[in-house]
Amino acid sequence: MTTTAIAITCTVNGVKVERTVEVRRTLAQFLREDLSLTGTKVSCDVQICGACTVLVDGQPVSSCTHLAVDVDRSAVTTVEGLASEGRLHPLQQAFVEQMALQCGFCTPGFLMMAKALLDENPDPSREQIIEYLDGNLCRCTGYAPIVAAVEQAARVLGPAGGDSNA
Amino acid sequence: MLPPFALERPDRLEDALALIGDDCLPYCGGTELLMAMKLNVLRPSCLVDLKGIAALARVEWRGDSLVIGGAVRHASLAADAEISRSLAVLTVVEQRVGNARVRTQGSIGGNLCFAEPRSDVATLLAALGASITLASSTGQRRIAITDFVLGAYETVREPTELLVEVLVPSARLKSGVYLKHQYAERPTVGVALVREGENGVWRLAVGAVGDVPIVIEVSSLDEIDAEAVADMTDPIEDISGGVDYKQHLVAVYVRRAVQAAAEDLGA
Ligand SMILES: Cc1cc2nc3c(=O)[nH]c(=O)nc-3n(C[C@H](O)[C@H](O)[C@H](O)COP(=O)(O)OP(=O)(O)OC[C@H]3O[C@@H](n4cnc5c(N)ncnc54)[C@H](O)[C@@H]3O)c2cc1C
Repeated sequence: MTTTAIAITCTVNGVKVERTVEVRRTLAQFLREDLSLTGTKVSCDVQICGACTVLVDGQPVSSCTHLAVDVDRSAVTTVEGLASEGRLHPLQQAFVEQMALQCGFCTPGFLMMAKALLDENPDPSREQIIEYLDGNLCRCTGYAPIVAAVEQAARVLGPAGGDSNA
Repeated sequence: MLPPFALERPDRLEDALALIGDDCLPYCGGTELLMAMKLNVLRPSCLVDLKGIAALARVEWRGDSLVIGGAVRHASLAADAEISRSLAVLTVVEQRVGNARVRTQGSIGGNLCFAEPRSDVATLLAALGASITLASSTGQRRIAITDFVLGAYETVREPTELLVEVLVPSARLKSGVYLKHQYAERPTVGVALVREGENGVWRLAVGAVGDVPIVIEVSSLDEIDAEAVADMTDPIEDISGGVDYKQHLVAVYVRRAVQAAAEDLGA
């Protein structure tokens, strides 16, 4: 059926969402404007900076260049979905303790990218962390504290990786 | 903001083929297409989503040859255990395409059909002697990858055709190395050096640096003159460097690839 709007069903941070969405709407617009989940940031808008990273069925995507209708029947996780029962996720805790942020604009993207990494590889080497995060840009920290935070979170999470707090 | 368009989501290849055309474009991961639409470079009235078509999502072995469906994502290829056992050089390339987000979303067919010159995938496939199959509602044709890409953003594909599969002949018998120089999100230079069997010829492909990869065949590694290869390239001058610099890089990476091939493969 040719259509410019589609009814979709998905879960966002574990909550079932049913909406009719204009096909040209990006996932970032859908999350920020329709669902008021403004934790996801849009910066470069061309998939280079990583600020808009969210997970779709556990895999990282650039929500700025991803159609919202493509998450139909999928599970979306945004930065708002990391903390549970009022407790920060170990990655968030590590970012705070390692001072891995200043202005904080890139942080949601780094957190989601790091979550994807630890879900896939709970014990990454420093080089693997650096390589995995090299598609995310931060203008404040100089990256070293971010890498240290991911190393700390990997130690805290242990072999279960990020999955323990999916 | 994306301009308005309609979206079709067929689950059969025939339906997709009946829909696509000048104003109704194939759409898979959207990593190039949605970007071009945001920038108003492309303004289709309709997109045909290929992600629901099972026939385009398969990775299979036919004897020693590897067949990859046009809509298979980089992340699936990077994680494919059989590919890493039998054609490890493809795993190496796929694990390092762009970033993990581009690998989740982007497909092999989209990479080849968009024909952005800075492609690792096209360079390796050229060295592997791969071909692709294009299908339309009236038939199919198979074309060598080196004949498919005509230039920057230009291929022989007609608007009514879909890239349905990529074929790597004798993939199990091939081995090789791939090295790239990349400081930002796309490669500046990519060098693939591949051989079939113990005594087969070597195929060297140098890509990303010019509009299309160049391919050279030699029977022994000693025949590769890195400076001469660099002279054969026609580099695109851009933010990642000028002609002299890129030709210098080509020579350096060709030398390194030859050395790595000699070490890895006991040539
Ligand atoms: C930030 C970034 C970094 C990147 N880095 C690299 C890199 O390091 N190395 C590398 O090799 N590549 C790189 N790429 C390119 C990437 O591999 C491609 O963008 C991706 O594979 C395109 O696939 P897609 O499914 O998203 O295509 P889409 O954007 O959906 O489509 C691209 C084009 O191909 C057409 N099309 C798509 N599928 C088909 C088909 N089956 N048949 C016919 N036409 C089709 C579409 O109509 C469109 O014109 C990078 C891209 C980005 C955005």
